[in-house]
Amino acid sequence: MTNPYQQQHGGSNFDSLASGRLPPLNARRPSYASVVSGNPPALTRPTRSGFSHLLNPSPDSEQQAHASSLYSTAQPPRLDSGMPYNTHIGGSGEEVPGRDHMNDGMGGAVWPPRLGASFPYFSRAFDLYMSKDPLLPAGPASPEEAFRFPSAAPVPNVSSTGFLSPSYLRGTIYLQKLEERHTAKVLAEREGNASKGAPPPASSISSRLPSNGSSSHLPTVGIKAAGSAHRGVAYDVVEKPMFSAEEDDMASPLPSRWNRDDKEAALEVLGDGYEVRHAGKPSSDHEASAIRADHYMSPSCGVYYFEITVLNKRNDKIKTPPIAIGFASKEASISRAPGWEPDSWGYHGDDGHSFASQNVGKPYAEIFGVGDTVGCLVNFRLNHALFTKNGRELPIAFKDIPFKDVKGKLYPIVGLKKKEDHIMANFGQRPFIFDIDGYMKRQQSIVEDKIRLADTSQLVPGLSETDLIQQLVLQFLQHDGYVETARAFAEELEAEKSALRLDPQEPVKGIDIRDDEDAHNRQRIRRAVLEGDIDRAMKYTDAYYPTVLRDNEQVYFRLRCRKFIEMIRKEAELNILLEERRRDNGHSDPSLKRQHDDDEEMLEAAVESDDMDMAMAEEDGGAGATTTTATGSSSELSQEAVAYGIQLCTEFEGDSRRETARQLGEIASLIAWPNPLKVEGVAHLMDGSGRVAVAEELNSAILTSLGKSSRAALENVYAQTCVLLEDLRQDGGDGAFVTVESVVLGIPPSRLR
Amino acid sequence: MSNWNAALDLGGLDIDTAFPDAVFAQLRESFGRMNSSTSTATPLQHAFEKRAADVKAPKSDINALILDYLTMEGYPKAAAKFCKEANLQPQQPDPSIQTRQDIQHAIHSGNIETAISALNGLDPELLDTNPELHFSLLRLQLVELIRQCNGGDIAPALDFATKKLAPRAATNRDFLSDLEQTMALIIFPHDTLQPELASLLSSDLRRTTATKVNEAVLVRQNQRREAAIRQLVRMRAWAETSARSKKKDLPESIGLGLNADNMEYGESGHEPMITT
Repeated sequence: MTNPYQQQHGGSNFDSLASGRLPPLNARRPSYASVVSGNPPALTRPTRSGFSHLLNPSPDSEQQAHASSLYSTAQPPRLDSGMPYNTHIGGSGEEVPGRDHMNDGMGGAVWPPRLGASFPYFSRAFDLYMSKDPLLPAGPASPEEAFRFPSAAPVPNVSSTGFLSPSYLRGTIYLQKLEERHTAKVLAEREGNASKGAPPPASSISSRLPSNGSSSHLPTVGIKAAGSAHRGVAYDVVEKPMFSAEEDDMASPLPSRWNRDDKEAALEVLGDGYEVRHAGKPSSDHEASAIRADHYMSPSCGVYYFEITVLNKRNDKIKTPPIAIGFASKEASISRAPGWEPDSWGYHGDDGHSFASQNVGKPYAEIFGVGDTVGCLVNFRLNHALFTKNGRELPIAFKDIPFKDVKGKLYPIVGLKKKEDHIMANFGQRPFIFDIDGYMKRQQSIVEDKIRLADTSQLVPGLSETDLIQQLVLQFLQHDGYVETARAFAEELEAEKSALRLDPQEPVKGIDIRDDEDAHNRQRIRRAVLEGDIDRAMKYTDAYYPTVLRDNEQVYFRLRCRKFIEMIRKEAELNILLEERRRDNGHSDPSLKRQHDDDEEMLEAAVESDDMDMAMAEEDGGAGATTTTATGSSSELSQEAVAYGIQLCTEFEGDSRRETARQLGEIASLIAWPNPLKVEGVAHLMDGSGRVAVAEELNSAILTSLGKSSRAALENVYAQTCVLLEDLRQDGGDGAFVTVESVVLGIPPSRLR
Repeated sequence: MSNWNAALDLGGLDIDTAFPDAVFAQLRESFGRMNSSTSTATPLQHAFEKRAADVKAPKSDINALILDYLTMEGYPKAAAKFCKEANLQPQQPDPSIQTRQDIQHAIHSGNIETAISALNGLDPELLDTNPELHFSLLRLQLVELIRQCNGGDIAPALDFATKKLAPRAATNRDFLSDLEQTMALIIFPHDTLQPELASLLSSDLRRTTATKVNEAVLVRQNQRREAAIRQLVRMRAWAETSARSKKKDLPESIGLGLNADNMEYGESGHEPMITT
C-alpha cells in the first residue's frame, strides 16, 4: 500500500497546505446516530465475556497466531514512514525538522515548517487507523487488527487516543496526572460502551477528535458542554462524571487548540484548531481581534510554553503585521490586543514592544512577522515570562507577574488586526523550534542543586545523614522481614563501627537483630509468593496467621488470581521450552536424552510424544510411563487451569465490585492465547512484578493484623516527600520540577544478566 | 519512665509537681508516636498524615532504593542476601562491591597505606587524575601518624609530612593551609584543642575521606556518585523546610516512624535498634 505518511519534500506551497483543502472538520466524524445503530462494523466480536471461551480455548488460536505475527510485520514500515519526531523526544533544537528551513530564512521554498507529515492529523488518509480502538489490544483477532498498533498518532506528541504530551513536560507529575485521567477516561468510555453493548471505537473516536490531546476534556464537560455544543455530540456517550466533581487545579488539562467559542467575531479557526485567520473587516486603531486557547495554563506545570508561526502570505506588503502573542485571563476583552487590558500580557510583532496590562508598551525586542516563529514562555516558579523568536531566547519581558492577584486563570492568547492575518499555534503537539526541553532541564537542575545542599540533620535530631540512612535501611529490612539481609547488614555495620573506633579498647555497640519469629514467617510466605508457589504461601498464611485471609478478602482474591496466572504461566513456559527443544535438537537421538535429569526428561519425553515418537516411547517400558505422564502434563496443566478458573469465577461471581470483575476478565483472557507470554499486551499480566505486588499486599495485611504499622519508616519518608512536593507544586513552585520517581529512576537497572 | 526515675535519683525534686509533669510528658510522647505511625485509625490525624497514608510507596521502588544503597555504599554481604530474599538481580557484581568495601574499611581503620595501594591496584590512574583526593588521603595518613605518636616520637610524622605532603602543598594554597592546620596537631596537646583542630582527630575525618574515595571510584566507573536514598532523604528534608517557609498547612512535626515498631527499644530515642 502507499504510505500515507510519506513526507512531502520541497516545494510545498503552504497555501494549499493550509486549511483550504482540508475537509471540513465535521465531515468525517461518525455521528452519534451511527454509534447507536451499531456501526462501524469492526470489533463486533465480544472481547471479555467471562469464561465462556475459556472452555474451548482452541478455535481461534491459529488465526490469533496469524494476527500476532502481523503485529510484528506491520510495525516496521510504520516506523520509517517519515515520522522523524520519534527521535526527537527530549532532543535538542537541531533535531527539529524544518529548522533548516528557518535558517535559510524567508528565501527558502519550503515554508511553513510543517514538520514532516503533510497531512493534517484528521485527514481522511488516517481514517483507516482511526476507526480502530488502539488501547484494546487484548481483544479480537482479525487481520485488520494489525493496524491497531500502527494507529499511533500522526501528530508527533499526541497519542493515538488523543493524549497531548509536550516533550518538556514529560516526567512531571502534572503530565502524569493528566495521563492517568486520560487513561481512566478512555477505559471508562470503553466499559460504558461494553455495558451498553455498543462497539467501542465510534464513541471514543468522536470524543477524542475534537478534544485531541486535552486528555481530559472530561473535567470540563460540565463547564463547557454548552459552549462546544456543535462538536459535543460525543459527550452524551462519554458523560460519566468521573472527575468533574472535584476538578482540581493540579490536573487541569493543557491548552491544546484555539477555542472557537472564545474569539472575536472577525477571526476564524481553521481545520484542526491550531490555525487562526482574520477574515473580517480590519479592526480599528483601538481594537484588535483576539482568541484564547481552550484551557488555561496550569501553574502546576511549573513552566508553560507555546509557539505561534506567522503564516501571512509572502507577497503581503506588510512584512510585520500587527500580530501579538501573550497570555490573558478570561476577563480580558477579546476585541483588544493582548497586553492592552488588565490581566493581559503581550508581545507585539509590528513594533516589538511588550505590553503589561496597559495601553502603553515598552520597547522589548525586535519586531516579528511573516515566517517568524515566536514563543511565549511563562515561568511560574520565578513569576516571570519571556518570549522566543525563531528558537532564540529573548530577555525577560515581564517580571514579578502577580499571578496570585489575577482574576481567574491565564490562557494563551493571540491578537490579529488586519484581514488575512494568519497564524498557526504549536501547543506542544509538535516539537518546538525553541529548545524548551533544555530550558526545562536547567530549571530542574537549579532545584536539584538546592536539594543536594539540604540539611538533613533535623529529620531525626541527633542522627547524621549517614546514621539516619543506616537506621532507615536497617529498620526497613527488619520491618519487612528480610531477616538474613538485616543480619548481614548489621554485621557489616558493626565491622564498620569497630573500624572507626579510635580507641581499640572502646566497646562496640552491638546491633541486636531480634530473632523475630514473625519476621521469619513473613519471609517464608513472601518467598513462596515470589517463587510463584501460591499454594505454599496460602498454606503458611493459614497456619501462622489464620485470620488474615479471612479478614482481607481483597488480598485473598488477589492470591487466588495470581495462582491462576501462575498456572497459565507454567504452561506457557513449558510450551516455550518445548518449542525451543524441538527447534534445537529435534533430530538428535532420543535415547541420549533420557540420560538427563528428571525434569528435562519429562520435557523431552513430552516433545517426543507430542510430535512423532509416541510409538517409540511405548516400546520402551520405563520411559513410556514417564512419557504418558508427561504427555498429560502439558494439556493437564491447561485443563487444571481452566477448572481452577471456573472455580475462581464462581466463587467471586457475587462480587459486584467493578475491580473484581475487571481483574477476572483480564486474567481470563490469558487462556485464549496459545502462548500468552509471547503476546504483547497480555504478557505483562504474567509479569514477575505481579508477584511482588501480591507478596507485599499480603505482607502488609499480616503486619496490620499484628497491630504493627504497615509501613516502614523509609516508606513514610517516601510518602511524606510525595505529599510535600505536591504542596510545593500547587503554585508552580519548585515542587513542579522534581519528583520522587525521578530519584528512583536514577537507579540503573541491573547490568548483570 | 526513665526521665521520671532519673529525676527521682537526682533528688531535690518536688514530687507533687514533678509527677504530673512526668505523666504528661509520657502522654505527649506516646501521643506523638501514635501520630507518627501511619495508622489511619488515629482520630486526631492531621490532614497531612492522612494524605501521606494514601500515597502508595511501591515496594519495587523501596527495594530498588535499598539494593542501590547496599551496592553503592559497599555492603556486599547484605546486598547479596537482599537479592536473594527479595528476588532481585544484583546491581553490580559482588567483587566490585567487595573491593570498595575493603578500601573503605582500610580507611575507616586508619590503614591509609593499604587503602592507597588497593586503590592503585584497582585503578592506577585514579589518584593521579585526582590530586585533591590523593592529598586528602595523605593528610589523613599524617593525622594517623600524629595520633600514633601522641606525646612520643614525632619523627615519623615529620618525616612523612616533609616527604609526601610538603611538595604537593607547595603548589596549592588550599593544600598548604590544610597541611599547616594538621601540623598544628603536633604542637598542641590533644586534650585542649580548639574544636576546629579537634575535629581532625575525630573519626569523622576517616569517614568523610572514605566516602570521598568511594565516590571517586564510582565516578571513575561511570556510575552515579552516591546512592539514590541520599537524594530521597535530602529531598524529604528540603521539601519540609520549603513547605514550612511557604506556610503550608503541616503538623507541628512530621515523624518518620523510625521507632514505631520498636516501642520497647525506643526509650533512648536515637538508636532504636541498638542495644549494648
